[in-house]
Amino acid sequence: MQAGARDKAMAVTGLILRASVYITLALPAVIVVISSFTAGESLRFPPEGFSLKWYKAAVNSEPFMTSLWVSVRLACISTVLSLLIGLPAAFALDRYAFRGKELFRTLALSPLVVPMVVLGLGLLQFMAWLGWNQTFWSLLTGHVLITLPYVVRTLTAGFFMFDKRLEQAAMNLRATPWTVLRRITLPLLAPSVISAGVFAFVASFGNITISVFLGFGGETTLPVQIFTYVEHSYDPILAAVSTLVIVVTLTVIAIVEKFSGMDNIV
Amino acid sequence: MAGSRTKLALLLAPPLLLLVTFMLLPLLGLFRSSFFVGSGPIASGFSFEQYAKFLLDEYYLGVLAETIGIGLSSAVLSVLIGYPVGYSLARLPAEKRRRRLILVILPMTLSLVVVVFGWLVALGRNGLLNSILMGLGVIDSPGRFLFNRAAVLLVLVQQYLPFMILSVMSGVAQIDPVLEQAAANLRADRFTTFRRVILPLSIPGILSGFTLVFILSVSAFITPKLIGGSRVQMIGSLIYEQVLTVLNWPFSAAMSFVLLTLTLGLTALANTLLAVRFTADQGKKHASRRA
Repeated sequence: MQAGARDKAMAVTGLILRASVYITLALPAVIVVISSFTAGESLRFPPEGFSLKWYKAAVNSEPFMTSLWVSVRLACISTVLSLLIGLPAAFALDRYAFRGKELFRTLALSPLVVPMVVLGLGLLQFMAWLGWNQTFWSLLTGHVLITLPYVVRTLTAGFFMFDKRLEQAAMNLRATPWTVLRRITLPLLAPSVISAGVFAFVASFGNITISVFLGFGGETTLPVQIFTYVEHSYDPILAAVSTLVIVVTLTVIAIVEKFSGMDNIV
Repeated sequence: MAGSRTKLALLLAPPLLLLVTFMLLPLLGLFRSSFFVGSGPIASGFSFEQYAKFLLDEYYLGVLAETIGIGLSSAVLSVLIGYPVGYSLARLPAEKRRRRLILVILPMTLSLVVVVFGWLVALGRNGLLNSILMGLGVIDSPGRFLFNRAAVLLVLVQQYLPFMILSVMSGVAQIDPVLEQAAANLRADRFTTFRRVILPLSIPGILSGFTLVFILSVSAFITPKLIGGSRVQMIGSLIYEQVLTVLNWPFSAAMSFVLLTLTLGLTALANTLLAVRFTADQGKKHASRRA
């Protein structure tokens, strides 16, 4: 009987814990969105009244809109580059046996685990030495580097699940290698390529830890702009701009969810 | 076979070129500059003065201890909170899991600065927490919930908990549910099953999640800067200030390598623990096969 009570206690504790975890995980984003619609002059929660005036202010703000554009452009270009570099890497990891394979895998995934301050400072110094400092190029290089692990991880998982017998079957039916690639391999891999691209995009779009080192003084991304703004002043325009970031992120996540489902990425 | 070698080289060349040129070389350069003499962005020479400055100063050692303390607390809290969540996710039917996973993945993908800003609004003077507490009559005037260690820890755990949850989830998913049923048939209650069957088998997942959360937490600098203010100094925020405000690059480089040693040290420790376990298991398997 005592054991039954212990099981019940475990179940109840688990339920409460899970509920509060999910609430806490969503809390910051929910608060930002709600407080962005305030009619008041200061950030408070619960907000005062309802208006869209801070969105108007955000859209009319030159610094925020310029950096939003920089962020979108940067995220698009680094996603494409990262896919172009990550695809061959994942393909090699899946189809070839070679010496140093595990070392290569670790290296390709390592930008995720090297502390970003360390990588940021290292790149800042290196770029200064190259004379690329405070340019779009240095930001772009940093972003391709940090999005590469997401691409390689998602694609190797995708390649791993890929049923190679389908390719063999097509070849047995005398399909040319080009036809196999076009009709079998690419369509089957499309979901993981899309997920990989989406993850690269979101990682680049939201990144602050590396951009803060590479973009200062020159071009700034939206997260860096928000960061500098929050250090000096604190008003509802930040909530409006942050809501834009949340909307972009959510939209993009909804795309992966539609194409391949969350299960396949993690 | 020569053709396939060339193909492999062509496939590996772009990623290797990127990683070597823009990660390994910069890190090597950083390592070199941590031995520079002087305190400007441009320095030269060779000495251990930067490391000595850090390791012989009580203030910096205090920051290092604070960083390790926050990193360990954040990782331990993440295990305690994240384990039950990861476990339940792994055992949920796929359809339900999909929906909850969005809630887990969203904080990982959302910009850090937006998340931190959300917490500033939640914990601020006119924020959610103060509104609730004043509404309930617990306090009469707004309290200060920001700029202390607990707030930094809360925000770090919220940010990095998803990594723990996912790591536990993928670990538990590999444990055959039949084992749990077997334990139940042998009249073990849920707690005993958990302690004797599930927990030992999920150690690898817990360990990799723990390492990841620790690494991410000790490297944090945006969170301690905005949530902790000047009251809570972590090594990351110290490096950030030295790089961008004080422009003391050699000293920042030395601190970076102290931080890197810390994270690599823990990773190596975790890998060794896993390797020891793994070889032990292999040994057992061999033994049972022979018997």
